[in-house]
Amino acid sequence: MEVEEELTQIEPLACGRDAADVWDHAVAGTLDEHERTCPHCRAAAADAAGLDGVVHRLAAERPIPPPTVLDAVLVSVRDAVAAELRPQDLVPLDSPEGPARLARPAAARVLRHVVDRMDGMRARSCRIETELAKSTIGTATADGFGVSVAITVTARFGVDLASVTARVRQMVVAAGEQALGVPVTRVDITVEDLWDES
Amino acid sequence: MHAVRTDDPPPAPAGPEMPPELDDTTLVVRAREGDVRAFSELTGRHQDALYRLALRLVGNAEDAQDALQDSLLDAWRRLDRFRGDAAFTTWAYRIVTNRCLDLLRRRRETVGIEAVSERLAAPDAPERTAEVDAGLAALRVALQGLPDEQRACFVLRELEGLGYAEIGEITGASETAVRGRIHRARQTLAGVMRSWR
Repeated sequence: MEVEEELTQIEPLACGRDAADVWDHAVAGTLDEHERTCPHCRAAAADAAGLDGVVHRLAAERPIPPPTVLDAVLVSVRDAVAAELRPQDLVPLDSPEGPARLARPAAARVLRHVVDRMDGMRARSCRIETELAKSTIGTATADGFGVSVAITVTARFGVDLASVTARVRQMVVAAGEQALGVPVTRVDITVEDLWDES
Repeated sequence: MHAVRTDDPPPAPAGPEMPPELDDTTLVVRAREGDVRAFSELTGRHQDALYRLALRLVGNAEDAQDALQDSLLDAWRRLDRFRGDAAFTTWAYRIVTNRCLDLLRRRRETVGIEAVSERLAAPDAPERTAEVDAGLAALRVALQGLPDEQRACFVLRELEGLGYAEIGEITGASETAVRGRIHRARQTLAGVMRSWR
């Protein structure tokens, strides 16, 4: 079987035609004059037609996995994520009552959501780095933790990129401060791709 | 056990924070950064096709479900290594194919040839009992009798409709080798089907 697998050459038909080509032409309905009349090609085409019908019936079947498969995968994935969460994956929150932290993936999801809700914009990567910073919330300035955000977005073709990226920046800063309670000291935005709405 | 559906499944409902039109690349990037919901959306979108492939490679629902589950977990763990130069589906097909070929190899080593032949002759009980199409039943059995690599190439081409180049990426074989395997599979299966014509 090993040796057979090494054979990549396709034996030509007795008339010299490439057997796989004739097969493809038969299935696609594009047999040429020679292939329609040559007995070797016609035999190959008959084999192709005989198999093609039943292969189509098999291909038309759409077995689906039971939902338990994906459920089990997601349970394992969530467990793994929780188990692998390191201290540096936690964003310290501005909490006067005591220390509070938010997992970085959850914080990223909040910020992505803000972008997703904007017309013609979708967030891809959202990386949040914690930094010790002098921050300003409202009119108060304090030393404490802030975050810098590097976000990549895709935009619908035709949107005004300068104005929407300015808006992304504004929204990310606002969401960081209002929804997360974390001062956002820097927002880097990269427009990575454009998409057509079709 | 698995259900059989003859039409295309409706799109999975999106979570409250997941716009339905996000492309695979976006979901991969998000999942790589720890967003389990994005991974759930991504795998939900492709699991039916991956399951079909697994089922046709290993020949029974139980093993196919195990292979799919292991493959999806593997995909999560290896997302960092997916660089996006190929489509996510190609990458995922490759993981499933390798997992199934491994499973078949191990199955052969542990249970011996006779038991394998027995199992292959009864690929899937629910389908077999409901089988009214004798030609289809014959094809199913003949497909399981092909060498594994030939079956993988044939299934990807004829049942999933992929091109030679993509099948080459999935199976790690050259396009010429893929073409050769598919042709030999077709010839073997056509020989079996001649008796049903």
